[in-house]
Amino acid sequence: MSHATQQSQRFLQSVKGHYGLVTLAAICLTSIATAEEPEFVELAVYPPTAALHDAADYQSVVAVAKRADGVSVDVTDQVEWTLESADDVAASEGHTIRPQGDGHGVLKAKLGELFDQCDVTVTNSQAERAISYRHDVIPVLVRAGCNAGACHGSARGKDGFRLSLFGFDPAGDYQRLTREMSTRRINRALPDDSLLLVKAVGGVPHTGGKLFEHDTVYYEKLRTWIEEGVPNDLEGAATVASVDFYPPRVVLEGEGTTQRFVVIANYSDGSTRDVSNLAVFSSNNDTVAKLDADGLATAGMRGEAFVMARFDTHTVGSQVIVLPKGLGFSPTDDQPANYIDELVGAKLDDLRLEPSGTASDAEFLRRVTIDIVGLLPTPEEVAQFSADSSPDKRARKVDELLEREEFAKIWGLKWAELLLVRTENNRVDYKPMFLYSQWLKHQIDEEVPLDEMVRNLLSASGGSFDTPQVNFYQIEPDTKKIAENVAQAFLGIRLQCAQCHNHPFDRWTMDDYYSFHAFFTQISRKRGSDYREWIVFNRGVGESNHPVGGRQMAPKFLGGEQPETNGRDRREVVAEWITSPDNPWFAPSIANRVWAHFMGVGIVEPVDDFRVSNPPSNPALLDAIGSKLIDYKYDLRQLVRDICNSHAYQRSTVANASNETDTKNFARAQPRRLGAETLLDCVCQVTAALEKLPGLPLGARAVEIADGRSSNYFLTTFGRARRETVCACEVRGEPTLSQALHLLNGGTVHSKIGQGKLVPSMLEAGKTPTEVVDEIYLRCLARRPTTEEQSKIVAVLGDNEKPVAELEDVFWAVLNSREFLFNH
Amino acid sequence: MTASTRVSRRNFLAVGSLTSLGLTLGDYLFLRQAQGSETVPEPKAKSVIHIFMPGGMSAQESWDPKPYAPIEYRGEMGSIDTKIRGEKFGDVLRRTAQVADKMTIVRSLTHGEAAHERGVHNMFTGYRPSPALVYPSMGSVVSHELGPRNNLPAYICVPNQPNPSASTGYLSSSYAPFSLGAAPEQNGFKVRDLNLPGGVDEVRYDRRRELLEFVNCEFNNRVQADNIGAMNTFYERAFDLVSSNEAREAFNLEAEDGKARDRYGRNQAGARMLLARRLVEAGARFITLTYGGWDHHQQITANMRRLMPAFDQAYAALLSDLDERGLLESTLVLVSSEFGRTPKINQDGGRDHWPKVFSVALAGGGVQRGAVVGSSGPTASEPEDTPVSPEDLATTIYHQLGIKAEKELMAPGARPIEIVKGGQVRREIVG
Repeated sequence: MSHATQQSQRFLQSVKGHYGLVTLAAICLTSIATAEEPEFVELAVYPPTAALHDAADYQSVVAVAKRADGVSVDVTDQVEWTLESADDVAASEGHTIRPQGDGHGVLKAKLGELFDQCDVTVTNSQAERAISYRHDVIPVLVRAGCNAGACHGSARGKDGFRLSLFGFDPAGDYQRLTREMSTRRINRALPDDSLLLVKAVGGVPHTGGKLFEHDTVYYEKLRTWIEEGVPNDLEGAATVASVDFYPPRVVLEGEGTTQRFVVIANYSDGSTRDVSNLAVFSSNNDTVAKLDADGLATAGMRGEAFVMARFDTHTVGSQVIVLPKGLGFSPTDDQPANYIDELVGAKLDDLRLEPSGTASDAEFLRRVTIDIVGLLPTPEEVAQFSADSSPDKRARKVDELLEREEFAKIWGLKWAELLLVRTENNRVDYKPMFLYSQWLKHQIDEEVPLDEMVRNLLSASGGSFDTPQVNFYQIEPDTKKIAENVAQAFLGIRLQCAQCHNHPFDRWTMDDYYSFHAFFTQISRKRGSDYREWIVFNRGVGESNHPVGGRQMAPKFLGGEQPETNGRDRREVVAEWITSPDNPWFAPSIANRVWAHFMGVGIVEPVDDFRVSNPPSNPALLDAIGSKLIDYKYDLRQLVRDICNSHAYQRSTVANASNETDTKNFARAQPRRLGAETLLDCVCQVTAALEKLPGLPLGARAVEIADGRSSNYFLTTFGRARRETVCACEVRGEPTLSQALHLLNGGTVHSKIGQGKLVPSMLEAGKTPTEVVDEIYLRCLARRPTTEEQSKIVAVLGDNEKPVAELEDVFWAVLNSREFLFNH
Repeated sequence: MTASTRVSRRNFLAVGSLTSLGLTLGDYLFLRQAQGSETVPEPKAKSVIHIFMPGGMSAQESWDPKPYAPIEYRGEMGSIDTKIRGEKFGDVLRRTAQVADKMTIVRSLTHGEAAHERGVHNMFTGYRPSPALVYPSMGSVVSHELGPRNNLPAYICVPNQPNPSASTGYLSSSYAPFSLGAAPEQNGFKVRDLNLPGGVDEVRYDRRRELLEFVNCEFNNRVQADNIGAMNTFYERAFDLVSSNEAREAFNLEAEDGKARDRYGRNQAGARMLLARRLVEAGARFITLTYGGWDHHQQITANMRRLMPAFDQAYAALLSDLDERGLLESTLVLVSSEFGRTPKINQDGGRDHWPKVFSVALAGGGVQRGAVVGSSGPTASEPEDTPVSPEDLATTIYHQLGIKAEKELMAPGARPIEIVKGGQVRREIVG
């Protein structure tokens, strides 16, 4: 023990001021005593392996113990650490391992009866690593925020000094650092007088303030670099291949509880490095979990946060769940209907959320009919369903609805939004647009699997009449936009940021952007024989050039390999990659769109913004529905069946005390305002009044409108997509004052009640006013009025035997009710 | 990393500047806390008319000409004297120059966002865009804080919500703007659905409302959700609007006599500003209107000569008209754009995006009469003195409306977010 203490003190001295580890090391020495040993069931040490590559290298480790109830505790300072190795390869101090000699060893952790370990490999333990511009200097500039967008990373720089945003152009930054304003920014004779350092430590006034102290590793690295003659190791330097962030997921109990995180960079030459002191930390919800500059997360309010570390071009994240202390909770004994309920339930248990009860038969019938076919159940269907007492009637109803042709129309509309089916002046005439929408309708009617449809669409060449899917390339002429649209529509990835700089909150770099763009740079177009026709073909030449330096970028899959494209249409190659079952985004992003349609909110939300800093609320669930979609050969019906049969879908919209603030974990159903097209179709259906829509025969449904540009006041006001972009945000579902005014006073509701003449004809047919009220309720709300509602309404109807105006007012009121306007 | 880097730069500077007053950080935090409990500022402005010039209007051709700069900076246009002694406007602002003594020109607005949608976000919300949270526009915050007055929607966009940043952000969609849905400059302009449909009289309308209450009652008690609440709110607003003649009449441009319409100009700028005046007079709190498109990468001279005269006429008429009616003291009129344009004319005779320094014009609502704040230096390259940030501008406007910008509003997940973070009430603007 005394030896250990001595060593610790030496260690303390050696790191004093370095790496900001002093406080952490001090904690290690004094944290043996704990009051009461909680019952742990699992112990994990992160990282599982550690490699030390030079004399100054080190690796910090973290141990996390899990209780039976899922709560995790940072036990790094409670476990007994022992380093076992044949030849004393390394010394461990608290949670940091440092090299002593080359070889292998095992760092073992013991907590009560629980064990885990970290394999340690040490090489070159006597060698000093040279200072690296790429791996030491740039990361310091990022970490200190010098090249952030508001500072020198802004497009024009700041106060005469410009750096590339987050270091996306290290060669240019080298030039500006070392060649501009010679001897001012960098003073090799007197390194400490370099403006780069003097400004950063606040030695002279600096608009950006003081960024770090003299005695930090940041200062030391920059100083060493200057002292050693500003070496430039960009040529041939290893690049960061990936970044690990540990622990991957924690559940903290009680405000103020902490958990330390470790960041490890994996380089292309196979080496690794602890970069916890160089990464930039952030949290997407500071009130739940805040991450400080040392990677220490502190629990705040109850909830869920995603904590992130950015290093180099990589952003990685971990999920942190925070629970209040001593929360009484017993998991629901609800038997899962299928895999969806198991995965949703596991997350709800973690969050200690109790799911709401099950929706009534009437609610379920109305909800599932609107969601699957975009219409309301008829009074006959309502009667049938409520009379049916078999236990599987809900599942049978789902199957029955899935067989209806209207199901295909709903998804035809969704795809038309994504594929930008619309006319465009001088580019897409009405005829090619119409043929394009017919092509899409045909795909859906014939149940062409989605992967095949997308592959066919993306690799299409030919005339816009006989191969109408080429209109996808005709509507948007700009090849960069095409690349962006393809990524967003089919992969749920927004690449736009990376056009001008490395994406600050995702993994995409400018290299990725222009290499992906290269798949679309060989598209060419010429006029067809008909003046309205265009021919889209593969020119076979045309490249994508990186705007920094003008490099020609070879086509490369996003986050993947650089394929052989010689002699092939590059679009074919990318189409195969996108629709391959191995593509990590295609199936999940489509499955997520389907999920969001039925649940009101995606597992990733917005559905077309898959990004590291916008993680799925339930990753296992997203994986599961994505792989199911592949298993089902992209047949949406089967996935819809799984969703609609799950208890998660069939829950009530009524919140309970534990889930009332949660909207992301499917503990209850979310009320959704009916979409523009569906609402208009439903109004027409229940009033039996036909609508004349642009480009369609009288009585056709709004979901069938071919052209994105065609609309009417109702549809525009209720947020129909104009299909000008592939963004899911084009469809607007939020209520507005104009919507309320239009329903109250506008032509649609008032006139349709009159046109449909339902009230007078029901009275003519001998129905009593009370029966008419029942019928109106059944048509619109899939239920009968309650006795209270019935008696209040009858009082208003008066003594008139045929109170047409009064009953039409009841009809009007029901159509204006929230219960009608929302799917719930 | 040291503690100081965790303080944001702005906070750091704010605290740094206090040390000259002999305050320690602790004092400062205590003071801030004390501020938090202080009562709201006395409102000077009751309404705001925000005239937004989408695209990034050049300051050099309008509020901040550089007559002594070389031609490649100055541009081809001339400048004229204004009612503020020694200060000049671009020569397309002839009438406005004559009412400059009612205005404050800020010539040193500055931010760092050179992309349209990001600059727009800065100017509408007072926040830099964030990937983690969408911030509410000033209009939505005003709607949230002050609510509707005289049965008119609190926040109205003429003719439509101009951009996504003009919306509610993390606040409930109940605070979304009311978009007219029709352009006031068009013949036969009418806001739809304000009047009862034919065949429905007051009696019948009341019966409908009563029945609607009955139908809604059970569902609304049982199901609580933000979007249902928002729809309920909009129905309430709609009833208020429909049942008030005065409120509906505010949207009726036809009620203005021909002289007033001619005075403002019978065009896009004139009709929109005249309607804004009617709405403010009737009680609307926050009107956002847009005029023209100002992204002049090419041919800036021709474009300014084409677009500016109508603005000049309408804007000068608006300020004079408000003043004559005694409304200028209670109505803050802001003219802004997402950013300014490059100091030098480019090869296409235009100017490109330049957020580093540009101008906004304010008038009324307690704003100084006849003042120029800040300077953009000899070439309009960067603020020479008194830089004013979008945070400052928003904080100042909120202050005039009696809203404390430090107040925290609740974002989803119970995250308290300040209305504006780190802005100052700029006494140069409001005295």
